[in-house]
Amino acid sequence: MTGALLEVDNISVSFDGFKAINALSFNVFEGELRAIIGPNGAGKTTFMDIVTGKTKPDTGKIMWGEKNENLLRFSEAQIARRGIGRKFQKPTVFEDQSVFDNLAMSLKDDRSPFAVLFNRITKDAQKRIEALAIEIGLADQITRLAGELSHGQKQWLEIGMLLAQEPRLLLVDEPAAGMTLEERNRTVKLLREAAKTRAVVVVEHDMDFVRNLDCKVTVLHEGAVLAEGSIDHVTQNKDVIDVYLGR
Amino acid sequence: MYRLLLVLCFFFAHPIFAQSLTEIVEKHQPNILKGSVKTAAPIIADIQAVGTEAATEFLTNWQDKALWFIKETGQIVSVVTDDKKTYQLIDIETGTLVTELAKKDIKQIKPNSGLRKMLGSALVTGKLLSPQKEIRLAGVDALIRDPKASHLDPLRVALEAEADIELKGIMDRAERQLTIQFDDLEVARVAAIESFSNDLSVEARGTLNPLLSNKIMLADLVPEDANIKGPITPGSEALTYEDAFDLLVAAEKATPVPTNAEIASILEANIENDTIAGFALADMSDADTRIKAYLALADAGKALAFDPNATIADLVADHEFIAVYVETSKAVTDAASNALDQINAKVGFSRFIDLALDGVSLASIYFLAAIGLAITFGVMRVINMAHGEFIMMGAYTGFVVQQIIPNYTVSIILAVPLAFAVTFAAGVAMERLVIRHLYHRPLETLLATFGISIALQQIAKNIFGTQARPLTAPGWLDGSLVINEVIQISWIRIAIFVLSLLFLLLLLFILNKTRLGLETRAVTQNPRMAASMGINPDRINMLTFGLGSGIAGIAGVAIGLYAKVTSELGADYIVQSFMTVVVGGVGNIWGTLAGATMIGFLQKGIEWFNPSNTLAAQTYMIIFIIIFIQFRPRGIIALKGRAAGD
Amino acid sequence: MTGPLTKFLLKYPSVLIFLGFLSLFTIFVTIGSEALGYGFISTSMVKILGKTLCFCLVAIAMDLVWGYCGILSLGHFAFFGLGGYMIGMWLMYARTEIIVTEALAQAALPPTPDEISAAVGTQIFGVVGGSEIPAIWSFAHLFWVQIAFVVLVPALLAFVFGWLAFRSRVTGVYLSILTQAMTLALALYLFQNDSGLRGNNGLSGLQNLPGLDDVDQSVISIWFFIASAFALGFGYLIVKLIVESRLGNVIEGIRDDEARVRFLGYNVEAYKLFIFVLTAIIAGIAGALYYPQAGIINPAEVAPIASIYLAVWVAIGGRGRIYGAVIGAAFVSLVSTYFTGGQAPDIPLGFATIKWVDWWTVLLGLSFVIVTLFAPKGIGGLVDLIAREKTK
Repeated sequence: MTGALLEVDNISVSFDGFKAINALSFNVFEGELRAIIGPNGAGKTTFMDIVTGKTKPDTGKIMWGEKNENLLRFSEAQIARRGIGRKFQKPTVFEDQSVFDNLAMSLKDDRSPFAVLFNRITKDAQKRIEALAIEIGLADQITRLAGELSHGQKQWLEIGMLLAQEPRLLLVDEPAAGMTLEERNRTVKLLREAAKTRAVVVVEHDMDFVRNLDCKVTVLHEGAVLAEGSIDHVTQNKDVIDVYLGR
Repeated sequence: MYRLLLVLCFFFAHPIFAQSLTEIVEKHQPNILKGSVKTAAPIIADIQAVGTEAATEFLTNWQDKALWFIKETGQIVSVVTDDKKTYQLIDIETGTLVTELAKKDIKQIKPNSGLRKMLGSALVTGKLLSPQKEIRLAGVDALIRDPKASHLDPLRVALEAEADIELKGIMDRAERQLTIQFDDLEVARVAAIESFSNDLSVEARGTLNPLLSNKIMLADLVPEDANIKGPITPGSEALTYEDAFDLLVAAEKATPVPTNAEIASILEANIENDTIAGFALADMSDADTRIKAYLALADAGKALAFDPNATIADLVADHEFIAVYVETSKAVTDAASNALDQINAKVGFSRFIDLALDGVSLASIYFLAAIGLAITFGVMRVINMAHGEFIMMGAYTGFVVQQIIPNYTVSIILAVPLAFAVTFAAGVAMERLVIRHLYHRPLETLLATFGISIALQQIAKNIFGTQARPLTAPGWLDGSLVINEVIQISWIRIAIFVLSLLFLLLLLFILNKTRLGLETRAVTQNPRMAASMGINPDRINMLTFGLGSGIAGIAGVAIGLYAKVTSELGADYIVQSFMTVVVGGVGNIWGTLAGATMIGFLQKGIEWFNPSNTLAAQTYMIIFIIIFIQFRPRGIIALKGRAAGD
Repeated sequence: MTGPLTKFLLKYPSVLIFLGFLSLFTIFVTIGSEALGYGFISTSMVKILGKTLCFCLVAIAMDLVWGYCGILSLGHFAFFGLGGYMIGMWLMYARTEIIVTEALAQAALPPTPDEISAAVGTQIFGVVGGSEIPAIWSFAHLFWVQIAFVVLVPALLAFVFGWLAFRSRVTGVYLSILTQAMTLALALYLFQNDSGLRGNNGLSGLQNLPGLDDVDQSVISIWFFIASAFALGFGYLIVKLIVESRLGNVIEGIRDDEARVRFLGYNVEAYKLFIFVLTAIIAGIAGALYYPQAGIINPAEVAPIASIYLAVWVAIGGRGRIYGAVIGAAFVSLVSTYFTGGQAPDIPLGFATIKWVDWWTVLLGLSFVIVTLFAPKGIGGLVDLIAREKTK
């Protein structure tokens, strides 16, 4: 109705009386790059949990895509298959498998067990995986075990895996944590590149990193939107300053 | 008549004579030999007046045809023989050997049945009126075990005379039982029956049930004055079609239908040249052909014909069947069925209460077995497959202590802390040596502790052998708390209940009110944070594990008191203990309590429906639990939100 | 051989090595057996070896479900036992029917089907005080139906249980405990006299094949040995194909990080269920081959402890490598048979004598702790280490 790709509508959830998300509403549009910032406990990760189906909210709904499907009806896997990819805070890649296998497993394809059992990697798929490896800068590491990669490389691999899924919306949780400056810049480039073909939502603490992303910023506080706009706009907002600096 | 006379004689005779048994017997010798009912009453009275054991013995021997007399002297003696050739004669008064004689020199005194009955009655009276309470009690007991119409009068007399309240109660009951069975007056019987309607004992039901025994008859054959219970439909539990049909056949209202075996034997008898009535023998593997051949034989007059198409149920359907009481008095059967209904309602209620108490008892056993696990598994998330073996170690510790200290009270009091110490040490050792290295690999803790479990089990088997060892409870725990005839609960189970209650309180106290509890909870919730606040997680883990294991040891002593101690004792409880913890909700003492309560009551409840089969009860209980976990994966009392973790 | 299979075998020479070794071993035992060869391997030894092959097969299944998919099932011996029960029902029924028919043939009248079935019922269930044939034996006279049940019954139990357990996201040790409970429930059920499977008497006389009384046990044992070897080889190949397929990647992913796989869009529960049911079927087939060699099956075989031992074999052999499971099962079960069978010499210590029968289990338990602590990859891990040393 609003034409948004993802429409979060009046979501609330509480754990043992503590309101983690409080009547949260906002939209993400096709091809948009968006950063979400907020202090600890603002509900950033919980918000991602809800969108990806890990946590069920107490009230509200989440509408998705042209067909306006309510995502709350689906399981995590079904949501993922509808085109929402998620990157965790901690890099989670399959450490006992090679970079190639990690990417191959993530390729958009039929996900049913029997299809997967008889599926073979085609020439096309091979090419796509190699292209992805180049994109995330791991072309020369493709046969190595993921567990042997450095922290930053694992983060990129995970982003690569998400891209392999060909999602329409990418949710990225604190990608810059624990990275060197050089690695961060690379990550920014990677995300901006990704956002050209799909919507990307980045949750991040680091203001410099967000500034480099150069996109619309949403500030969460106590489970609700506190402010929205460009990075300069929100950093001058009085409420935001109060929340960040404390009163 | 004689009975009354006898009783009266007894009363008046007692103080007057003070002769010895020998003198009296000598005086009455001719009449004793004669053994006439008419002359016996004063003899019996005289003898009973002596009041010694020898006198009672004499009467018993007389009744049992064990008295003989020496032909030459006429002296009456009792006799013992080893070889039926020489007979040792025993003095009736002193019980000493008089002499040995051959059989030809002595003759047996054989009282007739009337006299024996009289003697029996006199003996009962004698016992019931004995000055010694034990003898009177034994008399009533004997009488209840073997009730006879002839006992009713002496019992009533004795009841009147009885001063002891307890004994009077027993006699009163016996009197009412005998009245129901033997009194001539219907009113008296009904009154006695009604007096039992509050009595839940098995004996009461045993007295009333026979009054309602009935037999099923064809309606046409029921006599006019019969005490009718009611019509019976064939095909029910009370009357199968086959039985009903047998009644018809017996009344010659139907011709018998031959069984398959009977058909086969008639066919066999008529085999001629590999054919039977024209049918080939080889075709007899078909049931229909057999019947055809049989009917052909019947046509030839070689067998009784029957209609193979009519089923027994059809044949029976045209007839009415009626159940008729054996007891002829309707007032009595009505009163009995009424009283039984009341009793059964009360018994049903009592059984329910009893079952609930059993449930509580089982729940406290499961709680005791599982509570240690709730600490190690629930709080530390460490799965200890050797938990059952710690229970077993506790039980064996109790056994060993009893071998050293024979006083059961002292040994049990010593065994409890000792079992705690032994298993605490074992738990700490295991935590230090094995589990601590595996905190990040929970599934492997399961495997490693399983290795310890089989090793411990086998070691116990090697040391103590495979046979069950007893762990004897002290005397003050023997027996049961009896609330009524149905509701009883053994003191051991009550003790276990009290023990588990104590543990619940103790653990709640430790976890909520002590420094150790606070630190344990801190380590559980966030080990890194706790460590940074100066808590030593290693120490806490060690102590917590020791505590859980120590409690398993005490549980072992308790369980060993009512179950046999074997090396497999713990293995029998391990799955149920895990279930208890998981069903209740991990990481929560109250959860374990809830889990134990649910599983205990559930198991007893399922046994209620199928009491003969405890294996089935356990099977269904586990299936129920598997399904229950579908709906409450985190147990009855679940931690919510992020704290629950993944 | 088809094209892709050849390619597969060339890519994974370890499979060829294994299959080659298994074939050589089978030929060696056949040549050495009493019936078909020189007779230096006794019939009882052939049976022990044949049973060991069945253990290896169920261990492969356990390795797939635990080593590769991360589900520590304490229930796969229950599936193994169920397979045994299913084939045992046919063996017992068919053979009893032949005996009964022969006995009734002496009677004057040829027996009716009802008489035969009543006599069979008395013969089989007299020991638990019954004479009627329970409904679950309705198909016991049909060989192919019972063979189908060998596969279907464990599969159905695994499907129902797995569907319930995975659906409610029970994982880790909870799942292990739940599978253990399932096994205990099944064992307790079988222990009942009115279970229709002869209570704790179990099924017996399974070593005798119906209608083949003339064939000597030494020959039958070789048949079963070869059949077990075939099943093991085939099972090895199938499991290897699965773990090296894309599906293999996914289940390893589930083992290492279930949530990640889920967020990649895979229906984790379906995968787990697939593996759980498949391995239950393999276990059932292994059991169906094992119990005719053992001759008897009773509920104690199904008890949870057996399934835990299965985990022990796989852990000692080395998880996540199929040959590890085979080595573990063969090594531990054969060594256990040797020590607990009373053949091993006692060790006199002067003050006491160590009897292996008594102390072997203790040693096994403790060595298991040591393997878990210090060699989590088991014997297979050592093989890897040696292989790596050589390539260096």
